[in-house]
Amino acid sequence: MTHPSFRMLLLGTALLFVVSPLQADHHLPPKGLKPLKYPKDNPQTAAKIELGKQLYFDPRLSSDDTVSCASCHDPKKGYSNGERFGIGVDGKEGGRNTPTIINMAYSRMQFWDGRVYSRTASLEAQALGPIANPIEMNLPLDKMEIKLNKIEGYRKQFKAVFGADKIVKEDVAKAIAAFERTILSGDAPYDRFKAGDEKALSAAAKRGMDLFFSGKKTNCVACHKGERFRDDAFHNIGVGMDAKKPDVGRFAVTKLEGDRGRFKTPPLREVDKNGPYMHDGSLKTLEEVVEFYAKGGIKNPQLSEDIKPLKLTKQEKADLVTFMKEGLSSKKYPMVKAPKLPK
Amino acid sequence: MKILSSLCAIAVLTTATATVNAQKVDTVVGGLNNPCGIAIQPETGTIFVADSGAGRIVKIVEGKLHNVVTDFPIDVYGKGPKFNIGPLGIGFLGKNTLVVGGGGNIDDKERLRVYDVSGGTKKAADMVASFGLKANEDLKAEGNYYGVAVMDSGIFVTCNGDDTEGWIAKANHKKGKVKNFKRFIASKEATEVDAPVAVTNNKKGELVVGQMGEISIPEDGLVTIYNAKSGKMISNHEVGLSDITALAYGKNGKLYATDFNWLDTKKGGLFVVDLEGEDSEKVVGLDKPTAIAVGKDGAMYITVIGTGDDNPGKVVKVSW
Repeated sequence: MTHPSFRMLLLGTALLFVVSPLQADHHLPPKGLKPLKYPKDNPQTAAKIELGKQLYFDPRLSSDDTVSCASCHDPKKGYSNGERFGIGVDGKEGGRNTPTIINMAYSRMQFWDGRVYSRTASLEAQALGPIANPIEMNLPLDKMEIKLNKIEGYRKQFKAVFGADKIVKEDVAKAIAAFERTILSGDAPYDRFKAGDEKALSAAAKRGMDLFFSGKKTNCVACHKGERFRDDAFHNIGVGMDAKKPDVGRFAVTKLEGDRGRFKTPPLREVDKNGPYMHDGSLKTLEEVVEFYAKGGIKNPQLSEDIKPLKLTKQEKADLVTFMKEGLSSKKYPMVKAPKLPK
Repeated sequence: MKILSSLCAIAVLTTATATVNAQKVDTVVGGLNNPCGIAIQPETGTIFVADSGAGRIVKIVEGKLHNVVTDFPIDVYGKGPKFNIGPLGIGFLGKNTLVVGGGGNIDDKERLRVYDVSGGTKKAADMVASFGLKANEDLKAEGNYYGVAVMDSGIFVTCNGDDTEGWIAKANHKKGKVKNFKRFIASKEATEVDAPVAVTNNKKGELVVGQMGEISIPEDGLVTIYNAKSGKMISNHEVGLSDITALAYGKNGKLYATDFNWLDTKKGGLFVVDLEGEDSEKVVGLDKPTAIAVGKDGAMYITVIGTGDDNPGKVVKVSW
């Protein structure tokens, strides 16, 4: 099934000749999400999105032709990989859980520690990192360019989209980012309930929603706020802080002591599909996640002031999970099938 | 034609980090400890400062500091870097009534205090009135009253305790008396960005609020304009600043902001804000600026925290 906004863009291909790129960019996101801002130097076009999709699913972007972006950010697994950590070429395991790419188009910072930042083009800035990373796709970018330039089908498409005779890494990043900007999820039962459809949520999900938004009872919304249920900020909730050598998270980027053990808030739309959870993938289910919070996280000097033991009954914990599973899962999940790859 | 082209190129290259020249920066007074608030007394023009880390309000007379109110409670803010904080935002309601936002208590016990500053030095407990925003069934307690703006339509106070809602609180005033301090605008709900800090008013009597955002996220600061009577948001602006701590309109009608820039304090300073654009233009670099007051002469008096013993807290005067 193709995502609606992507379908709309495909339908709009013919119109691209008569409307300006600016107009074509302002397609509507799913209900509940704000319009996206696009980088001025990388406007969306249907051809570019299609090219980006092919690159996203193409294992030839790895050193041994076995790993693609989709290997770790698998549409069937909530655009994560279902494993505790990312797994690259030769089965090499990374040190952190694979973050979903759903709705990441809105984020200015990418990765758990936010080491990639751009006000409007963070996806472009992020896209090439995993390709070159030795424990992910392990393909140096100069070699990637050589490899792609040997594939006629890509050469033709890059020429049509970017007007250049040679494929360069910057255009690869732009195409992948353009595709990723179509992976959006909204229009969930929560959105419909909020818009006035009182039957959109079950009784349990409604109770869970009330708990979720209760600043005093759970305070989930202190971090999982807004239309994407995330604040794009960094918090120390104690995950992994009892390890012998804890992952320092954001501290590695900023060197601010207060950032030790802080990680970027993950988004919650479609969260039931992308477990295991937390930056270290240490919690297998949403039930375990709620239990972790109910216990007040793991104490450490930088533990967020918002993390405190919660007085929740068994029913309330179950209701919270129901809200996340039922309320935030859209029938229009952005499922994308692997395309035919060019030769 | 070539000259015009060159000028255009220069204009294009002028970005948010460009510095406006032709201003003068002088130190008015040093020796402060995390100064976080500043106000100019009506009629006398005397500068009052919340010397936050020292737990006192001081005034500057002939270049020297004089205690006005002392012995405020002090708390530690942040998890690294950490700052000692006591009194935060200050504002005058008439010549001798000073409204002081507190930051030295835990949220449930934090106070907005009102002092008569006409007599000699007072203790923090000698206020003529004080108010708090306690927790209730639905809401967390408020605290860290960072910004204070005294307007005809009320006294507006930015709060940094309940980071779920990010309240801007409002008190009424009549004949120099302050009353009914209440939560007014849930700024985080309105803007989806944390921490209202800076607050001032524009010529229309609208409330102009600077949302600091997350300290470890660059350029997420917002300037938001609200109807001061209804609390309804009028407009919301990304202005390319990271951690807005103060806002003030200059004599030229332009809006100025101080950016603390926690992530890279070397980038902090005074900026002129363009609400129509998405960037702000740097006027002068300052080391952790916190508050602005505009003098009758049009100069801006700015509290600066500084760094370490070599560059301690001070008040600087920026003039053109």
